[in-house]
Amino acid sequence: MTSAWRSREASTVAILAAELLFFVWYLWPESGHHTFWNQDNLLLILKYSSIYGIAAIGAAIVIISGGIDLAPGAIIALTTVVIGYLFVNAGWPLAASAAVGLLVGVGAGLISSWLIVRVGLPPFIATLGVMGIWRGTAFIVTEARFFDLSAKLPRNWHVGGLSIDWLGPIVMIGLAVVFQILMTRYQWGRSVFAVGGNETAALFSGIPVSRIKTSAYVLAGLLASVSGVVLAVVQGQGKADLAGGYELDIIASAVVGGAALAGGRGSVAGAVLGALIFGVLRNGLTQIPGATFYDRLIVGVAVIVIVVMDQVLTKKST
Amino acid sequence: MPTSSSSQPAALRFVDVHKSFGAVRALSGVSFTVAKGEAHACVGENGAGKSTLLKILAGTVRPDQGGIEVDGARVDHASPREAVAGGIGMVFQERLAFPNLSVTANIFAGREITRPGGRLDEPAMRARTERLLSDLHVPISPDVRMEHVSAAHAQLVQVARALAFDCRILVLDEPTTSLTDAEVDHLFHVLGTLKARGVTLLFVSHRLPEVFRLCDRITVLRDGGYVATFEAAATSPDAIVRAMVGREPPARVNRPPVQAGTAPALEVSNLSRLPWFQDVSFAVRPGEIVGLFGLVGSGRTEVLETIFGTARASAGTLAVNGKTVAASSARDAMRAGLALVPEDRQRLGLHFDMPLSDNLMLPRAVKTGVRLIDRGAEAGLARAEVVSLAIKTPSIAVRPGALSGGNQQKVVAGRWLATSPTVLLLDEPTKGVDVGAKFEIHNIIRRRAAEGLACLVVSSDLPEVLALADRILVMREGRLRGEIDGAQATEESVMRLAAHETES
Repeated sequence: MTSAWRSREASTVAILAAELLFFVWYLWPESGHHTFWNQDNLLLILKYSSIYGIAAIGAAIVIISGGIDLAPGAIIALTTVVIGYLFVNAGWPLAASAAVGLLVGVGAGLISSWLIVRVGLPPFIATLGVMGIWRGTAFIVTEARFFDLSAKLPRNWHVGGLSIDWLGPIVMIGLAVVFQILMTRYQWGRSVFAVGGNETAALFSGIPVSRIKTSAYVLAGLLASVSGVVLAVVQGQGKADLAGGYELDIIASAVVGGAALAGGRGSVAGAVLGALIFGVLRNGLTQIPGATFYDRLIVGVAVIVIVVMDQVLTKKST
Repeated sequence: MPTSSSSQPAALRFVDVHKSFGAVRALSGVSFTVAKGEAHACVGENGAGKSTLLKILAGTVRPDQGGIEVDGARVDHASPREAVAGGIGMVFQERLAFPNLSVTANIFAGREITRPGGRLDEPAMRARTERLLSDLHVPISPDVRMEHVSAAHAQLVQVARALAFDCRILVLDEPTTSLTDAEVDHLFHVLGTLKARGVTLLFVSHRLPEVFRLCDRITVLRDGGYVATFEAAATSPDAIVRAMVGREPPARVNRPPVQAGTAPALEVSNLSRLPWFQDVSFAVRPGEIVGLFGLVGSGRTEVLETIFGTARASAGTLAVNGKTVAASSARDAMRAGLALVPEDRQRLGLHFDMPLSDNLMLPRAVKTGVRLIDRGAEAGLARAEVVSLAIKTPSIAVRPGALSGGNQQKVVAGRWLATSPTVLLLDEPTKGVDVGAKFEIHNIIRRRAAEGLACLVVSSDLPEVLALADRILVMREGRLRGEIDGAQATEESVMRLAAHETES
């Protein structure tokens, strides 16, 4: 099993590398400074990818467990709003505001999993509802205004010699490592794979299926909230329409990284690599004159091409 | 003679178990005792309540009334977890496996060995799996993903799974359904060893010879009620069958022979689909019932799939009424006059969300290519079909889930008969239906054959093939090994062809 995951992740890395090579070659300057391949731009890519990437870790866990979560975009937005409200309006310290912000995701995960596990709603419907409720709450709280955190945050903020821009990438990589290990080396992760692979068999094996599913949605919510914290701090805003449509990019990241919507297959590391693939694509396209308009189209085609390639390769290898 | 007690102390006791699902009474006051260390069989027709009883034991269904005692203590299995913790190991009929996980992960699912700190101890689990697999002589790698494991091996992996946790009571639900004789021998050898070690066995099976071979006592259930418990040594299969159904099993009906000169309705020439089967040639004449028998893995189901166009042949030709058919899809095959009653009615046979009338008429509508459906005419045809097949249903508007297994199977047959085929292919037409329904389905097949339909019946149920077929074709290892006249065939003569020198 492990070797199969590794090879799947290897192909995701290969796609990422090919993509980087393409942009380095295509955007090679006639003279002087390379606008794509330089430290600042690569940090920029990491910074923006991490917003999707952190939430995509949670999306991968949910998808592997056989579910789907449409709420992360809304959770990210409401998290930024809650942090903004507490930090700017109520004058709380940033750490305390962020901690409460994380509860937004935990709450969303608890509601989703309650609807799915106890009420018996299909995950798509349950999380579609939660998505609407959370996004709506964000608009009600802000009344179409936004909280400006940046005014209260230090200018050119550095922590331990590193720019605050590194916050997202470091958190993303750290969480990816932790969850990759939990998913592949611990009983909990094995159970997530088992529930997604065959829920009935999992039940008969004595796996606490309801608890495993609940843990998947709560973690997905929590991780989306972590994305929200990073976005609020890095962007300096708490705003109801942030992260609009992110749920699809987040799901796409997990899928491109090897998660099968039928459940039972996928990887956390793959999801993060998937987020990077899209981050690089977006960033590179903005530097090609006129290509920005093709952004969504190319991302859409890329999802299909990568997943089809994966299926063809998997069939050949078995 | 029926007995109700044993000198041994009870390992497991069912006490006045009642369970209803809506209006359906699945169990009404079942009580019996399984003695410590014995092999106890629980038999009954479909719908007798065996599976509900097992589900209660497994903790997935709770009884309305009554309960279970294990080692003399009342237990209340609120979840499978508790059943497992209570020392009850289950081997289920369905493939309760995780296709996405390795064999090792399947065996330890939910009960993984962990190191201090909670990390999975993969080497320990792998080593244990290797030992279990070699004990059971299952020649597969512990690392292979379950989706690549054959049905027979998957069954043995389930046994290994139960054995991995030294269960005191091992419950087996139809564990031999997809096993070859050699594999059954093997499984029984293992079960014998377990029994000698003091494990109590509860064995649920349709296959009476196996029941008699393995079990000390046999409990018969009928229509959700307890009938009797027999000492295996003091009873006979006939007596058990009578207790199960209250009537004799269906016998062979000899039919007038089909004239040898008649042009074949279906002619298969040198059909191959590697690696499953090769060079298969035979013909079925109008009015004839031909049985195609083979053990699991012989290629019989694959031949049927290839004829029906759902899989592509690698070589060979196929003709219906003398016209060559290049069927590359079920739709083509249907238009050429073929119809296939598939084996797995849950998955392939029925649309469980559609009313009976639509279920019955769908293949016909597809075949005739009607665009606008005449609901009135369809309802009439559907009602005629219900009457002609004697499908027991309150109306044609109910969904198939409301019918018994036997009646569902008649619906599957009916929807394909409604296409007025030239050749009817049947794959395990009575799998999982009770003896009464089996008899009726056999009669439907005989009646349609008498009307000129050419029938090809694939079945792993040898008595069925012997009772039904005019001629029996036997497959082994992907090749046709011989043909036996139905009236002269015996279990021995067919099995000799089907199993000869295949098992080591």
